[in-house]
Amino acid sequence: MDREFRKIDIDAYDEDVLLETELYEPYPYDPATALDQAKQRAAAVRSSLAKGDVPGALGNILDEAPYGPNVEDAKTLTLQTLVTILNSTKSTDIPGVVKSLSQDRQDTLMKYLYKGMGMPGWGDLSGSVLLGWHEKLTEAAGIGCIVRTMTDRKTV
Amino acid sequence: MSAPVAFSLSQTAITCHAFNADRSQVAVCLNSNDVTIFSRAGNDWKVAETLSEHDKLITSIDWAPNSNRIVTASQDRNAYVWQLTPDPQTGKTVWKPTLVLLRINRAATFVRWSPNEDKFAVATGARAIAICSYDAENNWWVSRHLKKPLRSTVLSIDWHPNNVLLASGSADMKARVFSAYIKDVDSKPAPTVWGERLPFNTVCGEYASPAGGWVHAVGFSPSGDVLAFASHDSSISIVYPAGPVVYTIKLNYLPLVTLTWTSEDGLVAAGHDCQPLVFSGSEGGWQAVGTLDDTTANKGQGGARSGFGGASPVGKLNSAAFHTFRSADSRGVGGAPGSPTAGSGSKDTELLTVHQNTITSIRPYQGHPGAVTKVSTTGVDGQLVIWDVNAVAGLTARMSSLRT
Repeated sequence: MDREFRKIDIDAYDEDVLLETELYEPYPYDPATALDQAKQRAAAVRSSLAKGDVPGALGNILDEAPYGPNVEDAKTLTLQTLVTILNSTKSTDIPGVVKSLSQDRQDTLMKYLYKGMGMPGWGDLSGSVLLGWHEKLTEAAGIGCIVRTMTDRKTV
Repeated sequence: MSAPVAFSLSQTAITCHAFNADRSQVAVCLNSNDVTIFSRAGNDWKVAETLSEHDKLITSIDWAPNSNRIVTASQDRNAYVWQLTPDPQTGKTVWKPTLVLLRINRAATFVRWSPNEDKFAVATGARAIAICSYDAENNWWVSRHLKKPLRSTVLSIDWHPNNVLLASGSADMKARVFSAYIKDVDSKPAPTVWGERLPFNTVCGEYASPAGGWVHAVGFSPSGDVLAFASHDSSISIVYPAGPVVYTIKLNYLPLVTLTWTSEDGLVAAGHDCQPLVFSGSEGGWQAVGTLDDTTANKGQGGARSGFGGASPVGKLNSAAFHTFRSADSRGVGGAPGSPTAGSGSKDTELLTVHQNTITSIRPYQGHPGAVTKVSTTGVDGQLVIWDVNAVAGLTARMSSLRT
């Protein structure tokens, strides 16, 4: 039986097809600017961490996080910087840090935790660290935070 | 403060419900191709009639209180208007369907009568909303389509009290306000906060869900000056069009799928979290104030529950089915899944809420627009529950009890 027809891209024949990009506002910066910003933030995070200011470091990296299809370099660097913060926080400090974050920052942090869990063995990612943060973040922000991570098309 | 009254109408899910004007009858769809009308008999509901004409699942029902007509929408791409007419042979009055020319190639998902009951709107999966009005010459309902700028399935609609404006929520993650002005039906509307000149298909507002979720529910406030919408990113947004100012409340819980305003400064919304949440606020800001389902109160006592078999375990969330199978496997207890006795007595699988699964529909039950005192809900667990809007329990009590 001929099954080739199942592989036809029917969207190509639809004049009024709904594109992925129409579902969310595009990321406002071009890839080079995004990467520059990510580098500046990485530096700011390092100086915050040197002072032991974890909430400040997280706030720096979680606001206006790069998203969308064209800024992979900036996204990777941001994830790397975030992982440094996550790894260097004592597990007893996590509940307090998580609670001090605004709701938007909590949502963004959850997105990065899921992104991290989807890339096992990448860089110095550690599953147990991610799960530790995930547990505390879910306690503070609830399941709604996870639902928002799942629905949001602005993937980090 | 009175406790919620729950009726177990069926062992299947209830996809939607609509009461008649004096609340003596309720039309529901028991997850099938038929509308079932229940009549109130004391403290119980008895099946009075079954309306069969659709040949796919019925997605929405609305019962016009003044003209006593029922409109139904279904996945079979049709809508019917049902009217009580004397049968020529027997003389008995029966519900007779009238065809609606929807001209759509996807399912009809949601239907609502306009406030004047002279037209109704059908939301569809064909990226369109059909605005239907009666054509006396041919004895059918004709429709005009609202199309632009809808990009996906429309999931819910709500009429503005002026009979012209229509709000829609759709799967392209936007809530919109349209003009559904029909020349032959409507007189020229007075200017509102949404706009002054309102020809058909004017887009008066477009609001995106904050974290990109399907917009499941929309609702105009009693005055029509404020719009609320709930989306699948577990958030509810309240829009004041003048600014425009949008207040968004991000919830810690599962998404809301249905909402209704109870007063100009309050609304009740429910969904996957199985309980109605109360929100209140004004132009200065909005917040969640509590739940109507006091999970700390002792339920299942007295005559609060009635119907076929009381609190039925069937149709519960997946964990219930899982436990049923596990106990059947390890201890040989419990009947076949789906039988009314399966898992009964296993208290640990029962949710602390009154509804044992997602609430799919919430509607005003008592009071008038602007001062609703009771609301009714139906859900996937087959229950119909009447709630006192003023019996609000705190959210903190609720959270701790859910952790147990």
